[in-house]
Amino acid sequence: MSRTIRIAHEEWRLWSRSKVVIAAALIVAVLLAGTSFLTIQRISAEQAQRADQQIAAEKTFFTQPDRHPHRMVHYGHYAFRPPPPLAMFEPGVDAVTGQSIFLEGHRQNTAMFADTKAAADMGGFAALTPASLYQLLLPLLLIVLGHAMFLRERESGTLAVMLAQGQTGVKLALGKATALLSVIIIFMLPLVLVAAYALSLGESALAVITLVGGYFIYLCVWGAIVLAASILLRQRAVSLGVLIFVWLFAALLVPRLAINFSGAVIDAPGKIESDLIMLAEQRELGDGHNAADPAFQQLQAEVLEQYGVETIEDLPINWRGVVASYSEAELTDLLNSYAEQRMELEARQSRLFGLFGLASPTIAISTSSRALAGTDLATHHRFLRESEALRFDFVQALNQAHAEQLGYTADINRNVDAASSQRARINAASWQVLDEFRFAPDPASVRLDRAVLTLGILFAWLLLMVGIVLVSARQVRL
Amino acid sequence: MLASLARELRFLGKDRGAVGWLALALALSIIAVSFGVVEVREQRATIASLLKEDAADRASALEGHAEWGSAAYYAFHLTYAPPSEFAFAAMGQRDSVPWKHRVRMLALEGQIHEADTRNADFGMVGRFDYAFLVASIAPLLLILLLYDLRASERTANRHELLVATAGAPRRLWFPRALVRVATLALLLLAPLWVAAIIEGASFGVLTQASGLVVAALLVWWAITELISRIKAPSSILLTALIGIWLALAIVVPALSKSSIELANPVPDGGEILLLQRETVNDAWDLPKEATMEPFVAQHPELAEYSRIEGAWAWKWYYAFQQVGDQTAAPLVAQYRAARIARDDQAGLVALLSPASFVERAFERLARTDALSLITYEDSVRNFHGDLRAFYYPLMFPEAPYDEALLNDLPAYVPPS
Repeated sequence: MSRTIRIAHEEWRLWSRSKVVIAAALIVAVLLAGTSFLTIQRISAEQAQRADQQIAAEKTFFTQPDRHPHRMVHYGHYAFRPPPPLAMFEPGVDAVTGQSIFLEGHRQNTAMFADTKAAADMGGFAALTPASLYQLLLPLLLIVLGHAMFLRERESGTLAVMLAQGQTGVKLALGKATALLSVIIIFMLPLVLVAAYALSLGESALAVITLVGGYFIYLCVWGAIVLAASILLRQRAVSLGVLIFVWLFAALLVPRLAINFSGAVIDAPGKIESDLIMLAEQRELGDGHNAADPAFQQLQAEVLEQYGVETIEDLPINWRGVVASYSEAELTDLLNSYAEQRMELEARQSRLFGLFGLASPTIAISTSSRALAGTDLATHHRFLRESEALRFDFVQALNQAHAEQLGYTADINRNVDAASSQRARINAASWQVLDEFRFAPDPASVRLDRAVLTLGILFAWLLLMVGIVLVSARQVRL
Repeated sequence: MLASLARELRFLGKDRGAVGWLALALALSIIAVSFGVVEVREQRATIASLLKEDAADRASALEGHAEWGSAAYYAFHLTYAPPSEFAFAAMGQRDSVPWKHRVRMLALEGQIHEADTRNADFGMVGRFDYAFLVASIAPLLLILLLYDLRASERTANRHELLVATAGAPRRLWFPRALVRVATLALLLLAPLWVAAIIEGASFGVLTQASGLVVAALLVWWAITELISRIKAPSSILLTALIGIWLALAIVVPALSKSSIELANPVPDGGEILLLQRETVNDAWDLPKEATMEPFVAQHPELAEYSRIEGAWAWKWYYAFQQVGDQTAAPLVAQYRAARIARDDQAGLVALLSPASFVERAFERLARTDALSLITYEDSVRNFHGDLRAFYYPLMFPEAPYDEALLNDLPAYVPPS
């Protein structure tokens, strides 16, 4: 054991003498600290802002004056998605999706005003987040530090001496691995700090620990790749070149190619496209604004029979409210079935993308990391579903008030003059039907479930690479 | 010179590492343009089928009305920005900014911000397109091809001998590097040319794009040349070059992006919607004049028809839709101006980063840059204005409804 530490210590001594290593480590450390600081600031501001906006939206809704209930259906409401605590580390898809959505009757709107729409376009990978630094930059640092750590002994002839002294390749590799591991642990610190901060904000310990553990495994995979290359290859320039290629492939090429591929294999139609197909169906359902539409004849017969009356004027409830409620339910079923299809296709694309983790550990960690932080596509979809449920509930509650609190005669005469328009209003107390909406991340166990496959792939990477290191270290000859 | 180029070409053929990098460049270039062509064709097919379904939907929506107001309420119109002939090389902002909408004559601000974009993962990770290949990956390949020209000869202890026999060092290293850079450029460009011919991109655009590729490679060659003159082991040279690449392709763009965005805040989009929404909804409870006055201020020619009798009229309904847009207009103008200001500054700062510069230049050639998508949004606004200009003179004087006149409804023409 002490021999392992001695070898590791020797490695540290050499690193501390190398200007290149020190410069690289300092740059990465500064970038990490700066990016973490900026991202934490930005996300905390957004958290506070969205929570305020949600409360303000509810307050405005509640304080609307007496009105015709259908006016409130179109007045609508907003749902906001505040970023979860771990978004300070991994903002994920939030910048692309837009985080507020307008809710109104008869329509499912999209989330609007994504940050990327107004972003300054600097090309390629212009958005640096703490997570992307860990995914892209730290492997590169490990490569710079470690590409020659084993083969240096070979180049300088010390390997022969050590082997002759009874050292084995495996012991030597263990020492080198310890040195790299200590670097990894040091560079895990910013993540651990951010994670602890998230924990203090109420993030679950399970999610935080798994996230930190996932990145630790990821960096260990790279450490093992670097060590394997320095054992197997004979020249440091070759080793560095090969490692840069592996990095280029795993961190830059495969993720983007996987996006192209999963988009080409699974075609997920856009909203306009599926809306148009749906509209043809919708026309057959009838228009909820027009209670005389033939599509409502059957409903009318049923309701009249239920109340044992002859005409809609004799009903104890407002027929127009009944129609509005009926058609909203029908339409929502239809809208939801198309929305679900669209989301399912997108989710399949993303699952296919996640499988490319088999070709690149970077995909495995980034997919896991978004899932664990609660900033993945699945969370966005849940936001869409929950805000849709909120929309349907308040619209239907208003339609119920329309049916029960507003007389039919007053309703159909609402446009005769100013006085009749006043009579076709209901008390503002009815607006209290709106539910409070606070979007929260999934429970940690659910997020973990979503990340388990890609974390498994990451772990398989670790086993594979450690195996390769051990096998090649055992076979070290001169 | 020719003889030495031929000699270096022979050497290059025997260098297994270099041949590997070059093969990778060719493969990536073929992959990038193929995916690009497939994607562009898919987008065109989507637009074609949307146009057909949109026309059918509108025809049926326009049936059986008795008033102009209800016809306008139910008829949606598709607007879109078709991908250009060169869009296969740079999908640019099309992945994150919507390029198709369906609008009707209601308040436009409630419709134009709808985001019909693709899977959010796509926008976040980004696609592998030709512009990304040339801007970010090609420089790395070039670095890997050139960094140890001198150092490898030093390692092989041939350096001094070679320099001595070559006479001037330039005669030795220049042809060697030139052959590599030229081969890389050719392998990157050949698939682009083929795809551009298939897609029918104009000669001018293709020439500019090729010039960009060559210029980008020359810049990175110069950087590599400067660094590799340092007398250091090749692994140190490579580390330094990768560091420079990292700074120019990742760090500088990211820092510039953050600082540009900090310096040019955009108004919160939610505020635009909220303001428009509140104005439209408040109008129901206000006296009709409160809507008609600001409306007539914009449309004095309709003043004589602007008296609203009774509690409801379509023209009043559309008037307060427009007043909603008018109220939000200053915020909308700010939002648009901030986007343009950000893009202008990004264009300037991109001079600091060859990677950003190349990618932005490709997007401009492909008309997939931020400005092109703002131009598209402007065209949607103009078209919405045309719709209003069509309906208002019929609706306000309460001209008798005549379905035949709807044949003259304005048709959307995408920006060219």
